Amino acid sequence: MICIDNSEWMRNGDYAPSRFQAQADAVNLICGAKTQSNPENTVGVMTMAGKGVRVLVTPTSDLGKILACMHGLEVGAEANLAAAIQVAQLALKHRQNKRQQQRIIAFIGSPVKYDKKVLETIGKKLKKNNVALDIVDFGESDDEKPEKLEALIAAVNSSDSSHIVHVPPGDNALSDVLLSTPIFTGEEGGSGFAASAAAAAATGASGFEFGVDPNVDPELALALRLSMEEERARQEAIAKKAAEDTENKDHASSSNNDSVMAEAEPATNAADDDKKEQPKDDDDLLQQALAMSMEGGSSGSASVADAAMAEAGAVDPDLALALQMSVQDANMSSDSDMSKVFEDRSFVTSILNSLPGVDPNDPSVKDLLASLHGQGEVRSFLFLS
Amino acid sequence: MACLHDHSCEDHNCAADWSLYNHVDIPKVVALNESVPGSVKSVFKPWEQRLDTSGGFLESNEGDPELLVFIPFTSDVKIKSISIVGGADGTSPSRMRAFINREGIDFSDAQNMQPVQEWELAENLQGALEYQTRYSRFQGVANLTLHFSDNFGGDITKIYYIGLRGEATQNKRDVVATIVYEVMPNPSDHK
Repeated sequence: MICIDNSEWMRNGDYAPSRFQAQADAVNLICGAKTQSNPENTVGVMTMAGKGVRVLVTPTSDLGKILACMHGLEVGAEANLAAAIQVAQLALKHRQNKRQQQRIIAFIGSPVKYDKKVLETIGKKLKKNNVALDIVDFGESDDEKPEKLEALIAAVNSSDSSHIVHVPPGDNALSDVLLSTPIFTGEEGGSGFAASAAAAAATGASGFEFGVDPNVDPELALALRLSMEEERARQEAIAKKAAEDTENKDHASSSNNDSVMAEAEPATNAADDDKKEQPKDDDDLLQQALAMSMEGGSSGSASVADAAMAEAGAVDPDLALALQMSVQDANMSSDSDMSKVFEDRSFVTSILNSLPGVDPNDPSVKDLLASLHGQGEVRSFLFLS
Repeated sequence: MACLHDHSCEDHNCAADWSLYNHVDIPKVVALNESVPGSVKSVFKPWEQRLDTSGGFLESNEGDPELLVFIPFTSDVKIKSISIVGGADGTSPSRMRAFINREGIDFSDAQNMQPVQEWELAENLQGALEYQTRYSRFQGVANLTLHFSDNFGGDITKIYYIGLRGEATQNKRDVVATIVYEVMPNPSDHK
């Protein structure tokens, strides 16, 4: 049951285009989200001010009816919160499907003239009858309004089913701010409607990490998140290793690694898009070993790459690719001939990627690698596969 | 452990009599004014465990001793008697009102409606007392609502066990599950 505040306070324009319009948009969005998330949900709408506390539409699952009743609403008079909650409770009590959970969503934009005590009694009565309450606190904010409303929610709340959202005036539309709150996402953890609306509404920096909505594309979001974590782990490993090494080459390589982190990140992200076609970890460790053996480079860079790969390379083949590239970039600063090998290596790795059935755990392959590399590091990261 | 029967309990298995809890649709049991949501499900258990509070118990909110328990059954039952184990120190319920086959009763309804039967309870910490029902009124019960309106002076009301004794029939209340309204017969709807 949604309670709309259509008192005189709603004429103010601090929320674009006016408080009342912003509220109406938010109400429309909530109705849509609720009716979509569960076909048995019903939503009703009532006013707290204007011509008086009255129910505009009794709880129904017909979205058209709900949206139609929002037309032609007039702003005026003062909101009567206590009476409105009582009427909402009554409307919910006479719902047709008794199995539905009862919930009141109140938009409170005008000042609250009730005592904290009165509000707490109202809250207790709601809790006793198992009615949840969500409050959207916007518009007027005198000194005590947030505390009073928090006290009301605390009195109603049982096991986190009631929520309160304070929306300060500003650039963001009221509906956008609400999209990410539990009022929208509720207990189901995000309806598809709300999530897609969020993706459409937000331009670049949305509420989601990496600008990708987990609901819309879960695999991509997961891949991005994994690569971010591994990148962080790799950074720590390389920074640790760089601190230990004493060769003057590593001064250059560590500073290069720092600058290369930024390059490696987008490379990893780009590589992540092809995550589905990546080979198994075994193949990639093999390709690392072979590529490193072909490089035949200095032991310093090999040990740097080895420590990094030993800590992180077991998990993500794309990360291994990025690791190679960053190691190669470090080598490039010290040895210009490596540029040719870099191209060769990427060519080789791309070939190796397409090789099916190469199994580094095969004893004959292991022996080959040991002889090629001739160092203990091969064994260290073969253990990880 | 004292029963009202005039035999010693070691021979007779009292548990078998109080077995209507098997027919309670426990996931759908709802209580109003409980302090921990869902705790009402723990009061339906076998007779032997009636004093065992390890699974939790039903407690009302602070300062408010009223409790309303809605008990649906998986099939229609006939209830002979009810036993309630309450808490100590005045937290036992003192009055119980029962309603039959009505869904969605809340406190204002319960206070205004005439109950099917009403009892004055005594403090019954061992579960030895049972309260007989007017059996003719409790035939064919699909759901039972118990309203505990008062207690013995405590701040909250605690209930550890609700025992129901009676018989279960195999009848199910008519529940219209799915109806397909057709203007013309359409075989694909009936697959």
